[in-house]
Amino acid sequence: MKIMTVKKRERHKNTFYQILSVASVLGLIGLWIYISSTSRFPTPGDIWERMIKMFQYPIKGKNIFGHLLASLQRVMIALSFCWTFGLAFGILLGWNQKCRAFLEPLFSAFRAVPPLAWIPLITLWFGIGEFPKILIVIMGGLPPIVVNTQAGIANVQQLYLDVGTIFHANRRQMLFQIALPSALDAVLAGIKNSMSSAWVVVLAAEMLGGKSGVGFLISRGMDSMDMPLILLAMIAIGSVSALFAIALNTIERIACPWLLKKK
Amino acid sequence: MNVQKQNHSSEQQEQILKDQKKQRKASYQNLMLSVSSILLFFFIWEMVALLKLVPEHYLAPPEAIFRLLIIKIHDPNPDGAVLTVNILSSLQISFTGFIAAILIGVPLGWLMGWYRVVDSVVNPIFDIVRPIPPVAWIPLTIVWMGVGLKAKATIVFLSAFIPCVINSYTGIRQTNPVLIHVGKTCGASDFTIFWKIGIPSAMTMTFTGIKLAIGNAWSTLVAAEMLAASSGLGYMILQGRNFGRTDIVMLGVLAIGIIGTIIITLFSHLENVVLRWKRK
Repeated sequence: MKIMTVKKRERHKNTFYQILSVASVLGLIGLWIYISSTSRFPTPGDIWERMIKMFQYPIKGKNIFGHLLASLQRVMIALSFCWTFGLAFGILLGWNQKCRAFLEPLFSAFRAVPPLAWIPLITLWFGIGEFPKILIVIMGGLPPIVVNTQAGIANVQQLYLDVGTIFHANRRQMLFQIALPSALDAVLAGIKNSMSSAWVVVLAAEMLGGKSGVGFLISRGMDSMDMPLILLAMIAIGSVSALFAIALNTIERIACPWLLKKK
Repeated sequence: MNVQKQNHSSEQQEQILKDQKKQRKASYQNLMLSVSSILLFFFIWEMVALLKLVPEHYLAPPEAIFRLLIIKIHDPNPDGAVLTVNILSSLQISFTGFIAAILIGVPLGWLMGWYRVVDSVVNPIFDIVRPIPPVAWIPLTIVWMGVGLKAKATIVFLSAFIPCVINSYTGIRQTNPVLIHVGKTCGASDFTIFWKIGIPSAMTMTFTGIKLAIGNAWSTLVAAEMLAASSGLGYMILQGRNFGRTDIVMLGVLAIGIIGTIIITLFSHLENVVLRWKRK
């Protein structure tokens, strides 16, 4: 009988907290509507209308989804390079002492400069076409994956490697069958970080010089004081990167289910 | 340890000495490799510039940048401020935003991790704001606060705030339940447990967050200054680009990299000092 009441109270408590969460989001929206009704800040309706208007009068021949797609394309091209090359480079640094000693100083010097600071130099060298933008995104997305892969590979528990030695594993088997699987969670964390960093960088790159992409929309809105357009672009960016985060978390859950138990 | 050593036979001792020698040799080799890679890098840079493989206005040789560094300390051309002024104004912006982010973000993360009421109110809002990159806030902050220190510090704040919250939140969530039970058994109130057990055990993660935050703060600062500023390193870089002065741009990039490294190293040392009680 008592257990029942405890359970019931627990359930009540959970509903209370859920209602609180919903209320806080509603409060945020309410605050937005209140502020926009008293000042010139656009209402949610304005943003919706701006999106509809963009379908009728596209900016530079693209509606909001076209611009999103342009940004996505850059991010995806850059990230696919980062993930293949960065993974290989990280393994090299983590697995081979000599390579690490030779390449790490240069890599950490490269990493010390924030990717956004490279933008002017890259535009001086390569102009403002498609290649320099992708290159900048690569520079933003590469460090997280390399650092995480290297740390994951270098911190494999000695015990696992010793087991490998006992079973006469050669170096290749040790790497591919012991070190890599045990570094998988670190690598996935690196992939997640590189994703979010790539988004930031692509935005900045497009804001500083571009003819398409969400960053271009933001700077366009800033130049013409088109607040609904800015907010529309921000919402678009936010939703896409939230979707990406959810997708990557799902992949992580499938790829390394043992992480769930740890948490 | 000493006793064990004496117990080794002379043969074993010899083996140990040999191993140590080998190790020392390997670490010496590694050091030499590191040094040679840096030297090689500068050599290639110098050669490319010297042999004019790339036009000079695309790549300035290392010594030209060094000379520019000395000139730039007293010469405000071409961007209108000397190097030290630029550095100071950048530091001011990034530290304002960064300290605000720590003062607000870290306690918020702790409270969210400990009290479910705070968590269920703040977390949904936080989840909505988090995926929007700080760079995207630039137009809004300009509209709301103009182009002064406040707007730039806000952008820096947004980028530093998120890792602070996330890490202190996870840190306090990972408090060892045994410690909490001990506190409860000894009759501590929930707040005392939060204050005396939760926060100290979340310290390591919190510091990781703070270190991430300072890195973010420094790199976003550049973006904030590139878009709207009248001094600062990011502004200097951008002006260098507008005038086609590769040397100015490279000097700015180097200064940002070096200062960022110094700040992060200082914070790692600070972490070691503050968290000395954590290590045995």
